[in-house]
Parts: sequence; C-alpha cells; structure tokens
Amino acid sequence: MKGLLHRLWAVASSRVLSPVVIGIFLLIYIGIAFVTDETLIALMEFTSRSAALAGLLALLPLNSAARLVLETASHLKRRRSMKGTAAQLPAGLFDETVELPASSSLADLEGRLGSRGYKTRSLEGGVAAWRGVGNFPARALYLAGCFCLFAGILISLTTRTSSRGAIIEGVRLPAPSGQGGMVERIEFAKAPGPILSRHLTLEVAGATPGEGKKSFGLYPPSLYEGAFVYPRYLGVGLHVRFSAPDLPAGYETHSVLAIYPPGKEAAAEIPDSPYQIVFSLAQPEDGSDPYMTGEMVVTFKLLKGKEVVLTGSVPAGGELSRDGYHISFPDTRRLVITDFIRDYGVLLIWAASVMFIVALCIWLPVRLFFPRREMLFASEADALVARSRAEGRVRQHGGVFHEALDLLDAKGHPGSDLPPN
Amino acid sequence: MVAVKLIPHLLSWAAILLLLLRGFPGRRPTVAAANISGFALGAAATLLLFGSFPGEFTFGIIRGAVGGSFLLLWGASVAAIYRGALRESRSWWGSRFLNAPLAAAGGALAAGMIAGGICASRLSGADGNSVAFLLLALAGAALAGCALAADKWLPKSFTVSPAGLMSAVVALLLFSASYMIRLDIFAPLTMKVMKFTHDFVHQFFESMLIPDHLFILPYLWDYIGLLFGKEVGFWGGLVIWFTPALLVILAIRFERLPSVAHIRQGAERRKLLAAAIRARRFLLLVPLIALVIFAVAVYRSRFPSVEYWDPKPVPVTASAAGEIFIPKSGEIDIEDGKLHKYLYKQGGKEARFFVLMTPEGELTVDLDACAICKPDGYGQAEGTVLCYYCNTLIPLETVGKPGGCNPVPIPFEAKEDGVHVDALTLINTWSSTIQSTSRVKEEGK
Repeated sequence: MKGLLHRLWAVASSRVLSPVVIGIFLLIYIGIAFVTDETLIALMEFTSRSAALAGLLALLPLNSAARLVLETASHLKRRRSMKGTAAQLPAGLFDETVELPASSSLADLEGRLGSRGYKTRSLEGGVAAWRGVGNFPARALYLAGCFCLFAGILISLTTRTSSRGAIIEGVRLPAPSGQGGMVERIEFAKAPGPILSRHLTLEVAGATPGEGKKSFGLYPPSLYEGAFVYPRYLGVGLHVRFSAPDLPAGYETHSVLAIYPPGKEAAAEIPDSPYQIVFSLAQPEDGSDPYMTGEMVVTFKLLKGKEVVLTGSVPAGGELSRDGYHISFPDTRRLVITDFIRDYGVLLIWAASVMFIVALCIWLPVRLFFPRREMLFASEADALVARSRAEGRVRQHGGVFHEALDLLDAKGHPGSDLPPN
Repeated sequence: MVAVKLIPHLLSWAAILLLLLRGFPGRRPTVAAANISGFALGAAATLLLFGSFPGEFTFGIIRGAVGGSFLLLWGASVAAIYRGALRESRSWWGSRFLNAPLAAAGGALAAGMIAGGICASRLSGADGNSVAFLLLALAGAALAGCALAADKWLPKSFTVSPAGLMSAVVALLLFSASYMIRLDIFAPLTMKVMKFTHDFVHQFFESMLIPDHLFILPYLWDYIGLLFGKEVGFWGGLVIWFTPALLVILAIRFERLPSVAHIRQGAERRKLLAAAIRARRFLLLVPLIALVIFAVAVYRSRFPSVEYWDPKPVPVTASAAGEIFIPKSGEIDIEDGKLHKYLYKQGGKEARFFVLMTPEGELTVDLDACAICKPDGYGQAEGTVLCYYCNTLIPLETVGKPGGCNPVPIPFEAKEDGVHVDALTLINTWSSTIQSTSRVKEEGK
C-alpha cells in the first residue's frame, strides 16, 4: 500500500505529467478537427460530458498542487541546510555535489567567498555562502496560478449553467430562482474609461420587503442569487397594436426586440396571418443615442408575404394609419438581454491571472539582476562535502565554486600551491 | 520534365539518408538498408494506391503521414527541452528507446516511406508509370550512393543529437511536400490556427463574462479584431511551424555542461568545458539548418510555382421568371472540367458564382465564396480549387459539398440544354454568406 501511494505521488508530482496531459488533449483536438470545423467547442462539449476526459483534465490542477507541495518542501529543506539545522540532505537539492578529503580546512574560505560578493555563515563543521534573491516566491505563485487556472477551467466546463432572459424596465427581474425584484431603471451612458465605451447600470428593487436595492454593472459582473449577471445585447420592449384591411380585429403584442444599435433589424411574425413586421430604431439626426436619451423612434416595415405593404417611422407612444393599415406603439421600454451564469470557475481563473502577473513581476527582475547562487560546505562522516546550486549566472558561480574547492584541496594538502585569488 | 520535378524530392531524401547515417553512427548498415527499402516501398505503395484510388484519398494518406511526423517532432522537441530543464541527470527512457536497433531501423524505414510516397505523388499525373518508376529508382539509387559516399567524407566531429536529427528529417519531409500544393501542410495549418484563434477568443470572452463589442471602446475592439484576421493564421502558423526546431536549438544550447567540480586542475577543467561547448556548437548546426529548411518550405507554401485558372466572371441576367440560364455548350463549355465564373447583378446587389464539372462527372454550381472567409474567390489548380483568402486547397471531388472553406453550393437544375439557377436564391445566399463572413472578420463575436 505504501509502495502504491509512493508511486501515485511520484506520478502526480512528476514534471512530465502536465505536458503529457496537454499533449493528449492536443491529439484529441486534432482528431476532432478531422470531423468538424467547430473543433474547440466540440472538445469543450466532450470534456464537460465525459467523466474520463474531465478526470484527465483534473490531473493538471492535481499536478500543479503536487509540484507546489514538493517544491515548497525542497525549498524549506534547502533553507534549513543553509542554516545548518537540517538533519539529512536528500539528493537533488543542489546541482553539484563534490566530496573532498576530511583533512580539508575551511579556514580563509569565508573571506575568499566574501571577497566575491557572497554572504557567508559559519555552521557547525561547515560554511554556507549565498548571494542574490531566491525565485521560489515567483515559482510558488506560478504553480498556484496553474492550479487555479486548470481547476477553474475544470469547474467551469463541468458545472457551468446559463439561462437567458430579458431585463425590462418596470418588469420583475427574470432571476434564476423565478421572480426577482422589480427593475426600476436601466441607465446607459458614455463612459470615460480606457476600456469600456459605455456604462450600463441596472437598478433592481429588493425581491422581498426586507431586501435592499441592487445595482448591476458591466464589469466585473455582479452576482445575483449566486449567478453572474452578464448583459449581452440591448433592445426595446415594444407594445405593438396592429390592424390591416384583411385583419380588422387587429393584433396586439409585447415584443422583445434586440434592435440596438439604431439600424439593426428584428422581425415579429403576426400569427395566423401572412404579415410580418420588421423593426429597427431610427438614428436621430442630432447624432444622439436613442437608448441613452430614451427618445426612441421606431422604424418599421410591414411585409405581406414577400411584399412590403407599409413602411414608416413612429415615435414611442405614437401611431400611423395608411391604406387601411393601422400600427401604434403605446409603450416603449428599454431592455437588456442578459445571461444569468452560475460558474465559480471564473473566480479561480481571475485569481490565476493575478497570480501569473505578480509571478512574472517578481521572476523577471530577480532572474535578470539578482539570481540566487548558493554553496554549502559541510563535514559529513569522514569527508568534507561541498554542494552548489545557481538559478542564474551558472558559469560565473561555477568558477567561484571550483576556486573554493581548489582552495580547500590545497589547504588539505600542505605541499601544494594555492590557486590565485 | 518529370526528372526535373523529382529533383527537390530526391535531394531531400538523400539528405535524410545522410543525416540518419550521422545520427546512428553505430548502426549505419541497418539504417541505410531500412531507409532505402522504405523509400522503394513507399514509392511503390503510393503508385499502387494512385492506381486503385485516384483522387484525394492517397494524397490524404501522405499528407497525414507528413503531418504526423511534424506532430512527433513537436513531442520530441518538448521532451528535449524538458529533459534539459531537469536538474536531476537521470537516465531517460526515451534515450534508451532511441538507442535500440529496432527504433533506429523503424524510424529510418518510416522516413524513407514518407519520402518515397511524396516522390511518387509527383509522378501520379505522369503517363507511363513504369518508365517514371524506373527513372525514380535509378535516380534514387544514384543519390543513395552519393549519400553513403558523403557520409564517409564528412568529419567525425559532425554529429547529430536525436532531437536535432528528427528536426532535420521532418524539415526535409515538409520541404519536399511543399513542392506539391496538395501535400503542403502549412496552408491548412494557417487556416486551422485562424479558426482556433477565432473560437478561442470568442470562448474566452464568453467564459470570462467580458462585455460584447457594443460596450467596448472602438479602438480597443479594433485591436481585438486583429485576432480575427487571416494574418493571425499566418503568424500563428509560423509560430507552430518553427517552434519545434527552436525548442531543439534551445534544448541543445542550454544543456547542462558536464560537472567538472571533482577535477582539481583549473586547466583541465577549462579544457573539458571548452570541449563540451565545442561539441554543443556542432550539435547546433543541424537544427539550425533545419530551421532554414522550414523557412524555405513556408516560402514554397506561400508562393507556389503554380498558375491558377481564374477566369473573369461572365455577366449573366435572369429571365422574367427570375431564372438564370447557363448553356452547356456555346462560347463556354461548362463540362470541360474547368471553373467557369459568372456575375449576376440585381438592383444594387450582385453575386459571383461558378459552374464546374467535378472529376465524378457531376455539374456543381457554387458561390465564388465560402462560409468562413472574406469572399476573395477561388482559383483552380491541378485537382483542387484554392480559396484566395486563406490559401486552403479544396479537392475537386469535394466541391459542391457544404462546410468549412468549401465554396457554398447553390441549388440548381441541370437540364439537357444547360444549368438553371433561381436568381433570388442566388442573391439571398450570397447576401447571407457575405453578411456572416464580414461579421466574423470585422466584429469578431
């Protein structure tokens, strides 16, 4: 059992696991590409439905977490060894390990390394020397970021649910639970920021008497009943009354029309009749935005079969009669077609983005200007063991390490020449 | 003429043989025998396949094999860079596998078969296959002899790492394939990258709940819109194309030098390190050459020496009943197997379409546009039509079938006298296709 657990841990924490899993997904992607053009969407669908693929994807966050644990443990062990408090040093903590005769003397070593810019510490029967800053915080952040990213993707793919509804002024919010609070106001205005060109604010009264008023914006999306409120398109809720010579009883409907920006068309069928009305918002001559000002003029095109029988523009609340046809818009309201998305993986992916950025900000200057270089000389059994490791400027550090070894060796053999400083 | 066509393919194969001999110095006879017999086998099998299944099928198999070798190179290059990054110098199972005689022979055989297949594809249209095959065999034998002789002349220090060997062999196969537009894989790769980027950005926006273009500043959306252009396909394709060779170069360049800490003479240490660095430089030579060959293959793919048949669209009109009639014979013979383009105008709208007789002998009427790209139209080359926007090749056998970058088919009626097309259907199909492709390219979402 212990052996099995040991093997499982070795696999889970292997550096090779993540590239292998990504490679398998790449091969699946290529395979799907032979069958459909919507390859990425198909792969996402397969992964969300197949337990095997989801399990395979789960190996990625597992591997990141295992690597984080393993590398943190190695880092702590190395730190303890540099302080002289480590009982045993496992293999692989340092890049190079050399054994020298026990007679080698450590005298003058600290001075020699100090003159090369290394900080030193005398240990019991040994010397530790180092310079630069360790990149472990950046590495830990990177691994934590990988964990969050892949866990976020996995959660998002397997648990995301979405429902679409129209948020209309003066109508209750179509919340995931059923009925939300009353939509009091939809405000659309120009935004001065560097990214968004418009502000969209949805003000909703509390669904129950004790509940306070809520306000939803564009980004970051707000949460409502555990679902993100994701505004997609703007439109107009139009109350339409229509009658025709061959439809004297008339027809009345409340249409939800995605007709923003001005000029964009949406059609409404008149049931049990050959009629269809194509609506659009007219662009005001002064260049203003009708959705922002609320002064909307609806342009319509009435089709009977394929033939256009009536066209015109009617302001909100107005009407038009011609050739026996009558059309009026008694009520016009702003609306926002909105998705309510329950997906907590998004939070993890956002967290991952922040971690990657911070990790890069730490890693780059440290790696370029202050890479960590370490040496440890310690008496063990009947030998002096020298260890070295460098995160950058490897050859320079190697030269200093070799000189230090030469110095120790020369001290251990009194007849030999000391190497030049 | 056939001999001239074969020159780049045969030279590529000879270079592959030479590289294999350098890559497996202890197994020269096995590798040479496997590669030469693989070449003969690949060429013979391809000619047989072309005889049994004329058309896209055989090209598809060879293109798949070339693409598969490129995928393998990707795997090998990632493994090489990972192995180089590992601090622990463990024995790697991959190196044990590569040193096995079966792996060396198998690799040489596969490379020879693909090279032979590409060569024989070049002969697929030539009359008198037996003569062509004999010519191929003679030229191949001569070049194999040259490769074996060159191997003896080259200095011993000219060695190849396993990953470097693979990068050069695959580069030569891709270079050889790039001489035939139906085997080229760079153009389809750019198309796939373009589609992937589009889908990825779209899904990223959806998944991260990022507001639609309606709410984003136009200048910013213009930048995002760059991700939906064909340039992304080209540049992304280049990244995928060159990355394996670059990874191999980086893996060699940053391979850890041997530990010399146990040596107490400074001069000895420096000598050992200098020798290791020199050996490393020699190992870099082959992947660097591979990088150049990859670049030439891209150039061949972008600027193929093929002239496309692209007739000027002939204006047509509709009858009072709204029907466009194209006669079978007359000034234009629509059954000659060539692409014939027409232009229909109605009011302010116009639609471009073509009529083509497929190799199966069926007439097809299609828009001179596909459902994905901007309507730059199609040109015809040997056995294919090419989308001018994304350079994707569409085999003639599949023209008339919807999907992907295929021309959008139009319903029509083929009668004794000619082809009848409904003008309204044509204009509506053109308008909806152009509207959707311009939305994809200009707005992205």
